[in-house]
Amino acid sequence: MPPATDNLGNDMRKLATLIALVPLLAGCAQSGSVEITDYWVKSSEMSTTGGMTAVYGTITNTMGEDVVLIGGSTDAAGVVEVHEMSMIGGEMKMQEIDGGLVIPAGQSVTLEPGGDHLMLMMLKTDVVAGGTIEVLFDFEGTEDIILSDVVGKPAEGGDEEYHSGEMEMDN
Amino acid sequence: MISRRGLLGGTAAAAAAAGLAAGSAVTGAAASANQETFAAKRALEFYGPHQMGIEADLQAVTNFVVFDIKDTTDRAAMLRWMTLLTDDISRLASGEPILADPNPELAIGAARFSAYVGFGPSLFRKLGLESQMPSGFGPLPSFKVDQLQDQFSGGDVLIHIAADDPIVLSHGTRGLIRDSLPFASVRYSQSGFAHTPGMVPAGLTHRNLMGQVDGTANPKPGTEDFNEVVWIEDGPAWIQGGTQLVFRRIAMQLNTWDQLGTASKEEVIGRKLSNGAPLTGVNEEDAPDFAARHPNGLTVIPDFAHIRRASPQNVTDRMFRRPFSYEASPASDGTPDVGLLWTAYQRDMTKQFIPVQRRLDELDLLNEWTVPIGSAEFAIAGGIARGEIIAQALFS
Repeated sequence: MPPATDNLGNDMRKLATLIALVPLLAGCAQSGSVEITDYWVKSSEMSTTGGMTAVYGTITNTMGEDVVLIGGSTDAAGVVEVHEMSMIGGEMKMQEIDGGLVIPAGQSVTLEPGGDHLMLMMLKTDVVAGGTIEVLFDFEGTEDIILSDVVGKPAEGGDEEYHSGEMEMDN
Repeated sequence: MISRRGLLGGTAAAAAAAGLAAGSAVTGAAASANQETFAAKRALEFYGPHQMGIEADLQAVTNFVVFDIKDTTDRAAMLRWMTLLTDDISRLASGEPILADPNPELAIGAARFSAYVGFGPSLFRKLGLESQMPSGFGPLPSFKVDQLQDQFSGGDVLIHIAADDPIVLSHGTRGLIRDSLPFASVRYSQSGFAHTPGMVPAGLTHRNLMGQVDGTANPKPGTEDFNEVVWIEDGPAWIQGGTQLVFRRIAMQLNTWDQLGTASKEEVIGRKLSNGAPLTGVNEEDAPDFAARHPNGLTVIPDFAHIRRASPQNVTDRMFRRPFSYEASPASDGTPDVGLLWTAYQRDMTKQFIPVQRRLDELDLLNEWTVPIGSAEFAIAGGIARGEIIAQALFS
């Protein structure tokens, strides 16, 4: 390969590196976003007024910095908490995540049955299959996200057991 | 910041999310295009003036899942059910897992997945929607040949599902049933099949288990003729672009059929077994010449032949047939339990299916070897645009 072409190639690579850096330099706070996709709320025999359920979905963080899901709110429930599943005394139980759920920069976290989820307790209405509720996701590090059409999907009640300082209930 | 990519929010978002959330292992394993077969990639369009899976070449495998609604299911609940099904079918048709799919790794490709939804006369009665029934639609009269069994007959709601792959079909069917159970219970499900893609030229005929080329002399999809035979243009808004389905389980008496020689089998039908051509022609598409006679004076296509009795007597009594085969377990003595999941689509079953079936009921030698053991009618809702819900106008 002739030297001239080689030099040109090096220059192009440098230019490409510079262009790639621009969004990172300029976009610490502005560039990228947090999106929630494929979201749903479990409809089961438990999801009636006074009962509980959970919201699931995929949270994608394309920003340059971590964000944290610290909670949420909805007219459909009296209490909303960010939960994880973990081994407690040799059994899988769910409990509130201390400090919230971190969605690392450039990554996705999926809330799913048997894993992390947004727990709705003390339901004020029945969460029915095919119906929708509005849910606000409360983030640190980015604006809150309001999902107005979280659809109820039929699913088994789940075998998670709730573990908390104040209450203990079978799910 | 507000994100509103939820239910019905667009399959592009769903596709992106599926890749991130659920499908990464699958798409990763199958990422090398060399490993992925052509069947997985082929997809049918979900949106349009008609529901999918009717004006389409036969897929390899199919399930007709029929439900009876729960006592608590009212019109509002029906609309919520249809909301779930609409989103589910749109995703499955693209080869994506449905929302809340516990087995997303099974969404391995579209494989020409299709599903459409229809409603039986009993549903209209239960919900007080008789005024919304399309013209000519209602319970079929009984025919002499019928030996109908409840386990294969009737029902409030049909979801007819099909695909070119049995795993894709099974996975999709399970998801659609799961999302139906809050509203209804399964009355019956009938499984069938045609050919694996690549066995015969793509189209609407398949070789049934009597050996005949089945589904010939159909209106050609994509033509004005097809529109006039199949798709309803007037009446209640929800049925415009829809159709009326007669669905029959027709058992074949193969043991006695197999005792006939080729010439006799061909006379029963009026077509050649080799290629489905009428006995008076050379190719499958040739029009039968019902007047043609042998030198001895007998008609070449006998008076009792199926195609003579089934041939239209006027312009209105035609329909579109899309038959699959079925096979259940043989009896202990080896007698096969096989036949057709026979379908006829038409604008008006009173003007189209019923007069033809009356002629066949009076005289059709084929009745000796074919016995309808299941029968149901469904009014198939029209097609939907993005953001709409199947049969929205019926239940709103």
